[in-house]
Amino acid sequence: PNTVRAGMTVTRLPAAALSFKQFLQRQRVLGIYRNMLRTIRQVPDQADRKYLRDWARDEFKRNKSATDQDAIRMMITQANNHLEELQKSLALARS
Amino acid sequence: MAARVLQQCVRSFARPSLRLCSGNLALRAAAAPVTALHRPLSSVADSRRTRWLDQSRISSVSVLCRHYGDLPPLTLETIKDRVMYVLKLYDKINPEKLQTGSHFMKDLGLDSLDQVEIIMAMEDEFGFEIPDAEAEKLMTPEEIVQYIADKKDVYE
Repeated sequence: PNTVRAGMTVTRLPAAALSFKQFLQRQRVLGIYRNMLRTIRQVPDQADRKYLRDWARDEFKRNKSATDQDAIRMMITQANNHLEELQKSLALARS
Repeated sequence: MAARVLQQCVRSFARPSLRLCSGNLALRAAAAPVTALHRPLSSVADSRRTRWLDQSRISSVSVLCRHYGDLPPLTLETIKDRVMYVLKLYDKINPEKLQTGSHFMKDLGLDSLDQVEIIMAMEDEFGFEIPDAEAEKLMTPEEIVQYIADKKDVYE
């Protein structure tokens, strides 16, 4: 009975709770999404802005149920590349 | 334009009685687009038409700087109305289910990506940035209203 009680105090979290690593990854994804939307907000043309916003939204939603950590890491890298590209072309358009 | 004015002047030499009149018309036509351009910018310049060339530049600048001055003052009530209005326009929220206390994820069935979008929409609506660490804590319309009121120093 002792061990059971000890076990219960340790696992007070619900079964669906994320591990610390998963939690960090999730924060990163949300951060990228936020950055992406902030960057897209600077696009001058309204139609382009809407197109890009829908694109980012679809892309994130499409993969939101992914659980494989390596796959997620790859997608984060990919998203970062897209973000960088977008920021570069925005800077070029402004100069 | 100048050529046409000259031409009209020359033509009207034949009929001296009409000369003044037509010349005046042509001049007025030439000036019209310029005044039309400046009118919305410079109400001051209008009243002092004799000097409007000097005035227009200065007054247009001062008018352009004052665009945000006519917003109604924020109160808890108006903040709440605007927050709810933005949320009702968001396509994934069912306006009938929406209440000030409803939790975005538990009650409205949204996910964390939707929550990010909602916060961005609030930033657009109220014109300031919400830092990431605070943004992810805002989970109900009530909390958003409270947060904005705090940031904008609104207490009533």
